[in-house]
Amino acid sequence: MLKREQWLDLARKLDWEYSYVSEKEIFPEPVSGRPWLPHKDWKDWDEPYRTSYAEYVSTQHAKDASVRAVQEAVGRPEDFQTLDPAWLNGLKLHAATLPLAEFAAVIGNLRAARFGRDSAWRTMATFGALDETRHTHIPLLLMHDLVRWNPQFDWTHKFFHTNNWVAIAARHLVDEMLLTSNPIEFAVATNFVFETGFTNLQFVGLSSLARRVGDRMFEKMVQSIQTDEARHAQIGPPVLRKIVEHDREYAQYLLDKWFWRTWLFFSVVTGFSMDYLTPLRHRTQSFKEFMEEWILDQFLRTVDELGLHKPWYWDRFLSALDNYHHMVYVSAYTYRATVWFDFAMPGPEERRWLREKYPKSWDQIDPVWERIAERWKRSGPGVEWYTQGGTPVTFCDLCQLVLCGGTPRENTARTLRRGDRSYIFCSEPCLWIFEKEPDRYAGHKDVVKRILAGDAPANLVELLRKYFMLTQDMWGKDMAGGKYPWLEDAPRPVPTP
Amino acid sequence: MLVPLYGFLRGDTIGLLVLVHETDTVREIGRKLQEAAAVRVAPKPGAEVYFRGSLLSPDLTVGEVGLQALERVDVIPKEE
Repeated sequence: MLKREQWLDLARKLDWEYSYVSEKEIFPEPVSGRPWLPHKDWKDWDEPYRTSYAEYVSTQHAKDASVRAVQEAVGRPEDFQTLDPAWLNGLKLHAATLPLAEFAAVIGNLRAARFGRDSAWRTMATFGALDETRHTHIPLLLMHDLVRWNPQFDWTHKFFHTNNWVAIAARHLVDEMLLTSNPIEFAVATNFVFETGFTNLQFVGLSSLARRVGDRMFEKMVQSIQTDEARHAQIGPPVLRKIVEHDREYAQYLLDKWFWRTWLFFSVVTGFSMDYLTPLRHRTQSFKEFMEEWILDQFLRTVDELGLHKPWYWDRFLSALDNYHHMVYVSAYTYRATVWFDFAMPGPEERRWLREKYPKSWDQIDPVWERIAERWKRSGPGVEWYTQGGTPVTFCDLCQLVLCGGTPRENTARTLRRGDRSYIFCSEPCLWIFEKEPDRYAGHKDVVKRILAGDAPANLVELLRKYFMLTQDMWGKDMAGGKYPWLEDAPRPVPTP
Repeated sequence: MLVPLYGFLRGDTIGLLVLVHETDTVREIGRKLQEAAAVRVAPKPGAEVYFRGSLLSPDLTVGEVGLQALERVDVIPKEE
């Protein structure tokens, strides 16, 4: 009888020579990706997990049973009601962005399962598609029971079906990365940059915070997902290695492009959670420190091993690490009615902690919080509108996120005129990505341009209700309604509009 | 005619869309942006407005300085 290692490749290395059609017809470059190489150049493709289908099914069954057991033990609404409100709002943010993005990843994996250039790669991508189906189901299942308790959890399913500005930005990212990329770009963007690099922030960093906060369900969910991600992420390095061998410049371009796009996304989702929505007593490291450990150190080592360089904008990235998520969070706090989760306002102790963790940037961010605190003092608790803006904000024509690049002293927005249309970008890297493939991005309209074109309501309340799909019971508020002990002693003259 | 501009106020954390009329003065751009950002940055009595790195004269109108829709202007409040 053959041993496992002897028969495994008989099952997963099933490429053959074609007699009726050419290889290029079966794997056309526009769908399979470039550089187009004959199969002989891919035939040594391999990854370390070397999982068989029987092993896959058996392992996944055990993992699902384990998640179900934790759900039955600690997944009821009353279990979540004991958690800190700030953490719960971080959970609403994550829950919304996760499941349907995972579903888009099913499509990307299935494309690789058909058009990936080696059968072992296609086998792994098939498992990847099954994994991502599971990652779609788990958060939908777990959050569903919470909807009756708190309607904001409904955004777990609803988010990607709305034209909420965060959803537009998230769709712009995942549509390109997961739905439309060819298997080579998908492997670099998703398997390598997103899953090898950034998801560690979620699956290791945030999971450990969940444990400290006492959210066993979230901890279990992300750990269960992480074990899948760790496996199918292994598609990335052998694909990237091959691209480096044949077209180093293109490999570097893909790395630079997807690192920046992924960074912006995680900076908002994970940056908010780690530095603002995790209760101070449970924080172990700042978002920046997690990034330094998992991205600057471990991920860069892998990039170096593959013979690539740091992205060209590295200095800008390091500066953004000190500023970007703070700029977005405080801005979004003053437009919190435009999202589906509530915000925590950092008090004196949190601001002291942030100053200690971000000594290079906090001097410029803190006065904005001071101003908001003054406004709360003047209005008193419950007067939400007095600490919110009413003027439309602006969005980047590449990432579709708000124009919060740079620092309060120097916003890094860049403009571009192309034909009869004006474009604006939050940063030099977003402009660079746009200019590399303008036809790919030029037709997309951000929220402002939709308003100006009459495609979206200009009236803010109409925009919230009809376009962002938010109702008053769902839209974001200050978590404490401005009732913070550290604001209570202040005099409260009546505010005027 | 209304001209939408991308406005960036020094000290603020986000760019805002400022709607001005062609007949509005440059001074009015500064005032409107400070008012729009007041929830995050306390307005100051005076502000300088820059376009493509050049200081605009406060008494000129939007039309006179040739600002087109969706151009970037930077507003720097004067220190008190």
